[in-house]
Amino acid sequence: MMKDFSTTAPPLEVHDLTVAYDRRPVLYGIDLTVPAGSLTGIIGPNGAGKSTLLKAVLGLLPLSAGWVKIFGGPLAQNARRTGYVPQRESVDWDFPVNVMDVVLMGRYGHLPPGRRPGRADREIARACLDQVQMLPLARRQIGNLSGGQRQRVFLARALAQESDLYFMDEPFAGVDAATEAAIVDLLREMKARGKTVVVVHHDLSTARDYFDRLVLLNVRLVAAGPTAEVFTPELLQKTYGGRLTILSDVVQSLGEEP
Amino acid sequence: MVQPWTEDFMVSFWIVVMGFLVVATCGLVGTYLLLRRMALVGDAISHSILFGLVVAFMVFRSGGTMVMFVAAVATGLLTVGIIEFIHRQSRVKTDAAICIAFTTLFAAGVVLLSVAEVKGPVHLDAECVLYGEIAFVPLDPAVEVLGLVLGPAPVVRMAGVLVGLLVLATVFYKELLVTSFDPALAKSLGIRVGIWHYGLMAVLSIVIVSVFEAVGAILAVAMLVVPPMFAAQLSDRLPVRFALVFLHAALSSVLGYQLSVWLNCSPAGAMVVVGALLFLLAWAVTRPRRAAFPGWMAPN
Amino acid sequence: MRRLGWFVALLVLTTAAPVEAARIGEMADWNFGSQAARFFSLQDPSVRYALGGSMLLGLCCGLMGAFLVVRKLALMGDALSHAVLPGVALGFLWGMTKNPAAIFAGAVGAGLLGAVVVQWIRATTKHREDAALGFVLSSFFGVGIVLFTMIQNLPGGAKSGLDGFMFGQAAALGPEDVWLLAGVTVLALGAVGLFYKEYVLTSFDEGFARSLGWPVKLYHYSLMLLLAFAIVSALQAVGVVLVSAMLVIPAAAAFLLTDRMGAMLAWSAGFGMLAGAAGAFFSFTGRSLPTGPFMVLAAAALFVLALLFAPKHGMVGRLWRRRSRAARIRRENTLKAIYHVMEDGGFREEVVAVGNVAARRRETAVGARREVAELQRAGLATEEGGRVAFTPEGWQRACEIVRNHRLWELYLTNAAQLAPDHVHDDAEVIEHMLGDETVRRLERRLNYARRDPHGKLIPGLADLAAGAPPSERAAGFAEKGAA
Repeated sequence: MMKDFSTTAPPLEVHDLTVAYDRRPVLYGIDLTVPAGSLTGIIGPNGAGKSTLLKAVLGLLPLSAGWVKIFGGPLAQNARRTGYVPQRESVDWDFPVNVMDVVLMGRYGHLPPGRRPGRADREIARACLDQVQMLPLARRQIGNLSGGQRQRVFLARALAQESDLYFMDEPFAGVDAATEAAIVDLLREMKARGKTVVVVHHDLSTARDYFDRLVLLNVRLVAAGPTAEVFTPELLQKTYGGRLTILSDVVQSLGEEP
Repeated sequence: MVQPWTEDFMVSFWIVVMGFLVVATCGLVGTYLLLRRMALVGDAISHSILFGLVVAFMVFRSGGTMVMFVAAVATGLLTVGIIEFIHRQSRVKTDAAICIAFTTLFAAGVVLLSVAEVKGPVHLDAECVLYGEIAFVPLDPAVEVLGLVLGPAPVVRMAGVLVGLLVLATVFYKELLVTSFDPALAKSLGIRVGIWHYGLMAVLSIVIVSVFEAVGAILAVAMLVVPPMFAAQLSDRLPVRFALVFLHAALSSVLGYQLSVWLNCSPAGAMVVVGALLFLLAWAVTRPRRAAFPGWMAPN
Repeated sequence: MRRLGWFVALLVLTTAAPVEAARIGEMADWNFGSQAARFFSLQDPSVRYALGGSMLLGLCCGLMGAFLVVRKLALMGDALSHAVLPGVALGFLWGMTKNPAAIFAGAVGAGLLGAVVVQWIRATTKHREDAALGFVLSSFFGVGIVLFTMIQNLPGGAKSGLDGFMFGQAAALGPEDVWLLAGVTVLALGAVGLFYKEYVLTSFDEGFARSLGWPVKLYHYSLMLLLAFAIVSALQAVGVVLVSAMLVIPAAAAFLLTDRMGAMLAWSAGFGMLAGAAGAFFSFTGRSLPTGPFMVLAAAALFVLALLFAPKHGMVGRLWRRRSRAARIRRENTLKAIYHVMEDGGFREEVVAVGNVAARRRETAVGARREVAELQRAGLATEEGGRVAFTPEGWQRACEIVRNHRLWELYLTNAAQLAPDHVHDDAEVIEHMLGDETVRRLERRLNYARRDPHGKLIPGLADLAAGAPPSERAAGFAEKGAA
C-alpha cells in the first residue's frame, strides 16, 4: 500500500505559487500537497486569497511565480480528471438554460468539439441530479431555483464530470440548512469513493467537522495538514488574529506604492 | 505644405477654438458619465436625438436654439426613460435595453426624415450626422455685443454652453460627486439621486445637441468618452481630471486641425484621431502601474 | 448536410410565405395595392433581391444577436458596426474602386481589431466595458471619417457612397450582395450548429469552460469574427446604426419568450426574418422609403409585443398573475373572517350575517357585500338576505387558511422563540403562500398540536374532510385517521 502511494503522484501539488493583483501579491509563496482521497478545506479570513488559490490552481488566473501539478502533470493534460464548482454569483441566472442543460455541461469535457451529448451522457446527468435530489426540477429554468437548489445543480454538474479531483468555491455560502447537510453527505460519499475534494470554506465553526484536512491561508500558507493537528488555537490565531505577520504590512505598503 | 496659421489665420483660429470648446464641453460631462459607467448612454442619446430634432423641425419648421435644446432634452429623457422602463419591466439587461431604445428612435427619426423630405427639404443630412460642419463655422455671421465683435455665432453659443456647464459643475460639485460615487450614501444623506441622474441626462442632451452640428452625432461620442478616459488614465482625483480634460481638448483641437490640413480631411474626424492617440500615449506612459486583471478574474 | 437542407427549406419559405398575405394589399388604395401586388408576385428581380437579402440578414443577425444578448455584449454589435468604417475606407483605397472583396476583407479586419482592442482595454486598464466599447466605437469611426474625407478630396474619389453606408438601402441590393449574405448565413448556421455546446457553455460560465481546458478566447474571437461577417454583409442593406438594432432587438424579444437557448436562437432568427420581410415590403410599397429603418421598426414592434404579451416574462401576464393572486388573497381573507365569526359564536350557527363579516374585516357594509358576492361567484359561499353560508368547498378552504395561519404562529413561537404577540402579522402573509407539502412538515414538526399560541383550536385534516367544526374530542381521532 505504502509503495503504491509513493509512486503515484498526488492529485494536487503546488510549489512556491505567487499571484499578484495590481502588483500586490494576494498569494505569496504557497507550497501545498493534497493527498489522494482526502477531503480538504481551505480556510482563512476575508481577502486571504482562498478563491484566488483555487482559480490560480485551475489556470483561471495568471501566476506570477511557481508551478501547479495536477496528478503529476500540467492541468491541460488532466483537465478531464478535474472538476470545478464555481461561486454561484459567477453566472447569470437569467440565462436561457434549464437544470438538465447545466448538469449536461459537466459532460462537455468528455466530448470533442462539434459532438453533442448523447443518451449515455443524459443518463449520467439524470443519475447525478437524482443524487442531489433535484431530478423533479430537471426541466426548470435555472432562475426559478432557490439558493440551495442552485448550489445542488452546480454540484450535480461537478458529479457529472466524473472527475477524480474536485475544487469547490464556497459551496456552503448562502444555502439553507437542509442543503448544507446534503452537501456534507455528498462530500463524504465522494471521499468514500476515493475522490479528492478541495473546498473553499468560510465558516470556521463547522470546518473541523466537515473536513479531514485543513489548509490555513492568509496570503501565505499558515499551516496545512490533518484537521486534528492544524485546527489549534495557536495556528488559528496566526491565521485570523491580529497582525502577527510582517508580511501583511509589507503587502500593504506594496499596494500603496506607485 | 499648406501653412494654415499664416495664410488664413482667422479661419484656422475659429475652427480650433470651436474644436477646443466642443471637446472640453463634452469631456466635462463625459467625466461624470465615465464615473457612472454610463459612457454608452451618451452614445444612445447622441443617436436618438435625431428623432427629437426631426420632430421639432416638423412641428416648428425652424431650427432655433431654444427649440433644439427643448427637443434634445425631451428626447434624451425619453431615451433614458425607455431604457429604464425596459430594464425594470423585463429581464432584458441594461446593455440590450440601451441598444433597443436608441436604435428604434433613430430608425423612427430616419423614417420621419424621409417623409419630411417628400413634403419639403429639412436641414438635416447624413454628413451632419456623420462628421458635422466644423470647417464652416468661421463662415457663420459674427455676433456683436455692444459693438464688440465676439466671433462666429456657433462659437459664441458653444462658449456659452461651456461656461454654463462650468458654473453648474462648480455649484453642484459635491452633489454630483456623491451621487456618482455612491448612490446609496447619497440617498442616506437625503440627496434625491433620481433628480441628479435625470438632471445630468438633460445636460448631456443639451451638450450633444449643441455639438451636433459641428462634429456630428458619432464623433460627439468620441469627445464624450475619450478625454475622460485620457484623464482617468493619468489621475484619480476629480479636479485634476477636469484640468486634464481641458489639456486634452487643447491638444486634440490644435493637433487635430493641423492633421486635417496635412491629410486634407475632416477636422472633426482628425481631432478624434488625435484624441484617441493621446489616450494611447497616456496608456503607454502609465501601463506598468495599472496592470490589472479583467473584471471577472478579480480575486474574491 | 442537414443544415444545408434547412437552409434550402428556409429559402423556399421566404418565397412561398407571403403569397397568402397578398389579399391584404388589394383592399387598400389602388397605388399601394398595385405596388403590394408587384411586391408579392416577386416578378421584379429587385424585389426578390431586396426581400431575400433582408430576410437572410434578419436570420443571420438574429442568430448572432442571440449570443450577444445572453453574453451581455449587446453593445458590442453597436461598437463593431461603427468600427468597420476605417476598414471599408482602406478596402476602397486598395485600387480606388468599389472592389467588394477588398472592402469586405478590410471591414472584417477592422471589426476584429475593434473586438481585440475592447478586450485589451479591459485587460490592461481600469476602464470598464462601457468605456472600452465607447472608445472603440467612436475612435475607429473617427479614423474612418478621416480616411473617407481624404478619399472624397482625392481626384477620382468623390463618390464613395458614405450616405449608403450610414443609412443603408436594401432596394439597391444586387445578386452579389444576396449571395454574400447567403454565404455568411450558411457559415453562421454551420458554426453555431457545429459548436453549439461550446458557444453556450462559454457564454454561460466562462470560468467553468476554462477549467475544462477549453480555448475560451478562441471561441470568443470566432464568434466576433462571425459577428463581423454578419455586420459587414448587412451594412449595405441597413447601415451602421441599424445593424446593431437587427442584432439585438429580435434577440431581446426572443429572450422574453423562452427559457432555452436553442429555442431562443430559433425565435430570434425567425423574428429577424419577419422584420426583414416587413422592412422590404414597407420600403417597396412606400415610395422609395429606406428599408433599414422599417426593418428596425418592425423588429421593435415585435419586441413591444413580446414585452407585453410573453406568457411568462411579459408585462400583461405578470400583471394578471399579480392581480389574480391579490384577488385570491382577498377571497381567502373573507373566508377566514366568516370562519372567525362562526368560531366566536362557538360554531352553533352555520350562517353568518354579512354585517358581522364587515366588522371582522374592518370593512364597510358595501365592501363586505362585494367580497361576499365574489365568494359566491367563486362557488365558495352562498348569500341570501344579508346572511352568508359556506359551500363545502368554501368550508374546506376556510379551514385550510385558518390552519395555515395558526400552524405558522405556533411554529414561530415554538421554533423561532418569538413572543405570541409578534407572530400574527407574519402569519397573515405566510398563510396564503404555504403549500401542502410545507403544511405537512409543519404538522409533523409541531407534533400535530391542536391549539395555537392564543389557545384557539387548529382545524385538522379530519375536520376538513368531515366538514365539521374542530373540537378537542376529534383530535385523537384525526391523528389516528391521518396515520
